[in-house]
Amino acid sequence: MRRREFGIAVLAGWAGAAVAQTGGELQGSGLVGTLESPALITDPTRFPQQFQEAPMLAEQVRAGRLPPVAQRLPQDLMVIQPLRGVGKYGGTWRRGFIGPGDSENGNRLMSADKPLFFDETGTKILPCLARGFEVSEDGRRTTLHLRRGLRWSDGTPCTADDWIFWFEEIYTNKDLVPAPAAELTLKGKPARLVKLDEYSIAFEFDDPYFLFPYLLAGDTLIGGGHTRQQIEGRAYGIYAPKHYLQRFLPSHTPVDALTAEARAAGFSTWAQLFLFKCDWRLNRELPTLAAWRMVQPINTQQWVLERNPYYYAVDSAGNQLPYIDRIQMGLAENPEVVNLRAIAGEYDYQERFIDLGKLPLLVENQQRSKYKLHLDLGFNGADSVLFPNPCYTDDREIAALLGQANFRRALSLGIDREQLNEAFWLGLGTPGSVVPAEILPESPGKEWRTRWSMHDPAHANRLLDGVGLTRKDREGYRLRRDNSQRLRLEITVAQTLSPTWPQQSEMIVQHWRQIGIAADVKVQERSLALTRGRSDQIQIIIWTNNGTESLYLYPRYALPVDPTAGVMGNAYALWFASNGARGTEPPEPEMRRAHALLRDAAGQREAERHRTAQEIWKLAVEQQWGIGLVGLSPAFMGVRVVSDRLENVPGRTGISQHIRTPWGAHPEQWYFR
Amino acid sequence: MSEAVLDHAASERYAQATQLQLTWWRFRKHKLAVASLVVIILFYLVAIFADALAPNDPHATDARRSFIPPQGIHLFDDSGFNPHVYGLRGVRDPRTFKLAYAPDPARKLPVRLFANGYSYDLFGLFETDIHLFGVVGGNRGEGIFLLGTDQLGRDLFSRLVVATRVSLFIGLAGVTLSLLLGVLLGGISGLYGGWVDTLIQRVIEVLRSIPTIPLWMGLAAALPNTWSVTQIYLAITIIISLIGWTELARVVRGRFLSLREEDFVVAAELAGASQLRIIFRHMLPSFASHVIAAVSLALPAMIVSETSLSFLGLGLRPPAVSWGILLQDAQNIQVLAGAPWLLAAAVPVILAILAFNFLGDGLRDAADPYG
Repeated sequence: MRRREFGIAVLAGWAGAAVAQTGGELQGSGLVGTLESPALITDPTRFPQQFQEAPMLAEQVRAGRLPPVAQRLPQDLMVIQPLRGVGKYGGTWRRGFIGPGDSENGNRLMSADKPLFFDETGTKILPCLARGFEVSEDGRRTTLHLRRGLRWSDGTPCTADDWIFWFEEIYTNKDLVPAPAAELTLKGKPARLVKLDEYSIAFEFDDPYFLFPYLLAGDTLIGGGHTRQQIEGRAYGIYAPKHYLQRFLPSHTPVDALTAEARAAGFSTWAQLFLFKCDWRLNRELPTLAAWRMVQPINTQQWVLERNPYYYAVDSAGNQLPYIDRIQMGLAENPEVVNLRAIAGEYDYQERFIDLGKLPLLVENQQRSKYKLHLDLGFNGADSVLFPNPCYTDDREIAALLGQANFRRALSLGIDREQLNEAFWLGLGTPGSVVPAEILPESPGKEWRTRWSMHDPAHANRLLDGVGLTRKDREGYRLRRDNSQRLRLEITVAQTLSPTWPQQSEMIVQHWRQIGIAADVKVQERSLALTRGRSDQIQIIIWTNNGTESLYLYPRYALPVDPTAGVMGNAYALWFASNGARGTEPPEPEMRRAHALLRDAAGQREAERHRTAQEIWKLAVEQQWGIGLVGLSPAFMGVRVVSDRLENVPGRTGISQHIRTPWGAHPEQWYFR
Repeated sequence: MSEAVLDHAASERYAQATQLQLTWWRFRKHKLAVASLVVIILFYLVAIFADALAPNDPHATDARRSFIPPQGIHLFDDSGFNPHVYGLRGVRDPRTFKLAYAPDPARKLPVRLFANGYSYDLFGLFETDIHLFGVVGGNRGEGIFLLGTDQLGRDLFSRLVVATRVSLFIGLAGVTLSLLLGVLLGGISGLYGGWVDTLIQRVIEVLRSIPTIPLWMGLAAALPNTWSVTQIYLAITIIISLIGWTELARVVRGRFLSLREEDFVVAAELAGASQLRIIFRHMLPSFASHVIAAVSLALPAMIVSETSLSFLGLGLRPPAVSWGILLQDAQNIQVLAGAPWLLAAAVPVILAILAFNFLGDGLRDAADPYG
């Protein structure tokens, strides 16, 4: 009940925030709709009794290649009340992706594989794979109730054994999962997974862990199935298809035979073969639980998903979902091409890579290209953040500077955020630090948005002089302290998410001229940039802190805690994730304190947890671990192009990382008119 | 009678003229080539005095003047001749959120010659802030934008002028390198003949048979990304000239082959001149004009190479400004639909290429004044 009230408060606040941010300009534009999502029917007495299926599946049933729909659906159904009305089957959802590094594009569409999920506000937990959960009074035990009769996309039943299999045979295998998931470790002590019966499991911890169910629902290392499993060749997740995957493990097949098989398939070790086999983007044999399954892999021109005949959800009339037959993601060379195709009306629903800067064009082409434009406002503090990496390995002097709070503060004070807002957010964003919207319970308060985040070159210059960068060359650039060469920073831009990151960085470089800091902008392909980030070979990367609006679910862009992220100091993240076993202990006491606060929050109940989050945010702003630029805008996946033919699409949808944009709009119940 | 005298005088003059004079007379007749020469000289003047010609700092960004359309200069006002531009007011369209600029008649900015602007190093020698023209008394963000501005509010005219320097000199440097390689290898090939000749000629054929863009892409991608902008700049020059030398080597070799058999060379040989003397005193002058023609034809190819490499994102990269980089800025859809003036960067490319080609044409004709 308390949780629901909170959700409503957030809803009201959300609308309020929109007006406050933009002076009502956005409201007047008619581009911001009502936040909504389809309801779940949880009362079994209201469940449909008769089931229908898509014509393409009915055909296969008649041909005897598939069992009838009633036998494919689980006993514990997920029943969705479609947003506006019961739809009809068919059609292909056309969408764009930008290459093999763009896995997240597809991962998000596979979000029905999550143990639990959120409502449209991102605050209330809803059933997903699990039909329900309980947390024990002492917080040490979380029980999940799985759906009875749930089946993998190849028809094999999915039971508690699949969860135990992942936990005992994949997660504990150091070749597959080199570092334990932070989510499954509490105060250095690992979780235990217990099978209660065929369809119930319990996670047990030595200490209270009230946060745990949120982590199962969030975008965490354990918040899903194989969409978690291709993070740089590490098999995270929380369950896996035992019947399919166990054969590729040395515990079930002799290692020599596996190695031979791996060699034959072009891999050098059994682990590589295994990681390929559990990579949903590349291996089309891998069974899934999501609404669609992959039929054409990501490393092609068309990344294609097709309906999963065993998907566990139906609409209120008993039609098995999804309505749409196929998702076809066409390869675009870069985000610019995605925008171009969206404007030409070649996509049915595209929010990823759509550039807020092209709003004028997007608005003007609505009628001609037969789409409707929506703006969904974000809650995270900054759509663009500069992350200085104090663990940078290639240059000691630069690492030492990036490790100093005053240097980072100076970099932050040297940026004119109003300029960035005007040029790239069309004046619709809010310049400021990394803290989330004031309306959220985790926000430390209004004054923290501007702290160290206003343009003040004079102050920045004083700070830089203070760290010993007093000598300058003829052109006014500061010289390094260790030799007399010009200090040159490098901003790495990953070619992804925001098409204007290169230009934003170029503008920042110009602003830094005023404080005598020379910088270069280096644009790189996303996976290359992040790989370099994970080995701390990046000085400063421009990224987003989207997701941190729910700090505990997605802390990776607020603090260096996740060694898979690759944008904040990786050695520190490794140290945190491995409980000090590996990586480097942060020398800054503030960072250690933030780490400790984050660790403690796991065992706290909601209200206390919020207070801890506020403390962490204050530290993050004070220390400028991330230099927030402009946020609280629709820039990050909030500019949405929706075909006029597509129905049941919310007027406005939550665009948080943990709402898995666009999954919060529930694509499985969209249909073509 | 008098005509015959005149004819006689003319042929006298003709007979006494040096080769250089003859070449010049012949060249003068090619009107297009002469015009092209003027254009090219102007281009290089622009390149040399780039900073003095640019009214605004080509790197200075200002979001409040993003995507300003090209602006005209008003020559007269009530008080007579007083060149000026109006200050601009940017207002966002409430429906499309587009910034629209309207001239503010109350804010008149006089345009003057030798105005003060951003400071720069003239010839890398002394610092000055005098620019050929500019506005007087403009506030921050105000200025004259003859060709409009880009998304970051940088003045396109100034950027074009500065880009001319990079693009033309990268061509010149590339051609110099090609020339060295070409004359050396072509000379060896033509002079010695035999297996050396065969080897060099086959190498040339192999190099020329490789499609250039993929070859450049491979080479450019192999450049370490830790290199600074200057290092990349030099490397790109070398990459471009790797292909460029082959054409020149062919020309030089051909001339060597034909001249080797000429009577004056045989005479020099018989007189006991050393081989070096024969090459440099007797042979080189007689085909220098051909080499110059070949060079002027190779230059546009170099410029286009740099432009296309940078356009594809493989050549120079910001903050370097070249024609290719300016065109790369014009690659996106906002520009095509909303700011077509950014395509103006293509105009100097076209002009320079055409001028060099016509000049090369004229030079080639003039190079053989007896022909």
